[in-house]
Amino acid sequence: MENKIKFTAFDEGLVIKISGELDSMKTMTYRDKIHREMIKLGPRMLLFDFKDLQFIDSSGIGLILGRFNEIDKIGGVVGITGLNDYSRKIFQITGILQIIEEYQSTAQFKKKARINL
Amino acid sequence: MINKMELKFSASLSNEVLARQAVIAFISPLDPSLEQIGEIKTIIAEGVSNAIIHGYELDASKDVFLKAIIDGEDLELTITDYGKGIENLEEARKPHYTTRPDLERAGMGLTIMETLSDSFAIKTLPGMGCKLVIKKKITHESVAYGTVSR
Repeated sequence: MENKIKFTAFDEGLVIKISGELDSMKTMTYRDKIHREMIKLGPRMLLFDFKDLQFIDSSGIGLILGRFNEIDKIGGVVGITGLNDYSRKIFQITGILQIIEEYQSTAQFKKKARINL
Repeated sequence: MINKMELKFSASLSNEVLARQAVIAFISPLDPSLEQIGEIKTIIAEGVSNAIIHGYELDASKDVFLKAIIDGEDLELTITDYGKGIENLEEARKPHYTTRPDLERAGMGLTIMETLSDSFAIKTLPGMGCKLVIKKKITHESVAYGTVSR
């Protein structure tokens, strides 16, 4: 599978879909891309879609935590969707699911995140 | 049957993908599940990036050594660097501990490796380097279910 990042903006929110392998090298380039997109759009709701994620390590976890801290600071909401057995295990080990809520779908996030803002 | 492989590569993060893919190709005869493949990739990524970032402080003129042995359904991985070693192993093993917060990694590498493997050993001497020995069984759930007895 191709490694890629895709941004989809919605009202006050941004969906970041990361596919394939999210390793140390990809994390570095994606961090810049996400930073530029967030500057441009100033989202208050951020959803990471990992439906097609095949690999993640602590650099990728750091990338998510870093963005969580930025959005949390402005009182926004961050969510995760599309976890498989493997990625859910990694997120559980790192304790990320204790601070970032998992949503069943992008639609569910859009609906619930607004209430939690 | 015992099968072995060894890999030596420059301490550059761009070689992390080589280390991951080499081991995945090596264990493919064991027919690992997608979940097991993901877990093994993550274990290798954490071990190799620790060697590169912390052991060698991103000095690509140094070498990282990766060894894999398959004995039946047992996989043993050894990741070695001859870098600066870990001063305080007890501290390093604590979740979220990192000496490089600037890199925005999670400080979870050792915790992740330890949790995903069946056995995890670390040998380090300050100034001498670090050696990780990780063991993981590549079993098949359907077979495992059939042999469970209580």
